[in-house]
Amino acid sequence: MAKTSLELLVSLQDLDLMIEEADEVKKLGFSVTGSTELIKAREELAKSISRPLLSRYEQLRAKIKRAVVPVKDDICLGCFLRQPTSRGVRGREDEQIFTCENCGRMLYWLE
Amino acid sequence: MLQRAELTKYFKSTLFIPQLKSKTKDAVLKELLDLFVQVKYIRNRDLVLEMLHQREKLGSTGIGKNVAIPHGRTTATSDVIVAFGRSEQGIDFDAIDKKPVHLFFMVIAPPHDEGNVYLPILGSLVTVLNLKKNRDKLLKVNTFEEFIEVITGES
Repeated sequence: MAKTSLELLVSLQDLDLMIEEADEVKKLGFSVTGSTELIKAREELAKSISRPLLSRYEQLRAKIKRAVVPVKDDICLGCFLRQPTSRGVRGREDEQIFTCENCGRMLYWLE
Repeated sequence: MLQRAELTKYFKSTLFIPQLKSKTKDAVLKELLDLFVQVKYIRNRDLVLEMLHQREKLGSTGIGKNVAIPHGRTTATSDVIVAFGRSEQGIDFDAIDKKPVHLFFMVIAPPHDEGNVYLPILGSLVTVLNLKKNRDKLLKVNTFEEFIEVITGES
């Protein structure tokens, strides 16, 4: 099944976090010889995301590092503000991307 | 680096497999990941599996000495949790020393984690597992309680 836009963003952010922490992980004794391959995979994945959404993601990432954050028990795990329950119902379906009204991060409902 | 006693907070008896069924690298990633799915620690198995495969492309998490620590941050979870699995026959995991892996620790963390414990957990695991006596004991544990005793250094 094709990924939703939100799922593509989650995959992109997971890759970005991996690339970002590669040096620190290497210091712990792990092998990180495939950085170039990972960066290529990141570029390919980014191509499958619509321009406006990707640009929104990049802007948020530049400003607040983690652009997409999980929501658990209706709490945004970026700033810990409670999200309106009514949003959660639609947010769980991943069809529409909601942003936290407090911190502006894009939200990914966990349950 | 975390103290060994503190490290135990991140293990759960529901994420402990003393006898893995898997025989391949891909299968063991799935078998351990499925534990997280069963206890609802992650929302989307496929997204997390993809992340773990990407991490293996960065470099095998088989760190040698029969140990692998597959790990990564994912937006599909809210907690830092570690699963343990042991394979008696050993699994080819493309480890850096090319030896089969018997001891697996899967570490999954959210994008932000309270207290920034993700990297210290990885560091502490590497330290504990660098010691042959700990690896030897882990190869023999049968219960979660015995496992925790090795992690804390009480056994």
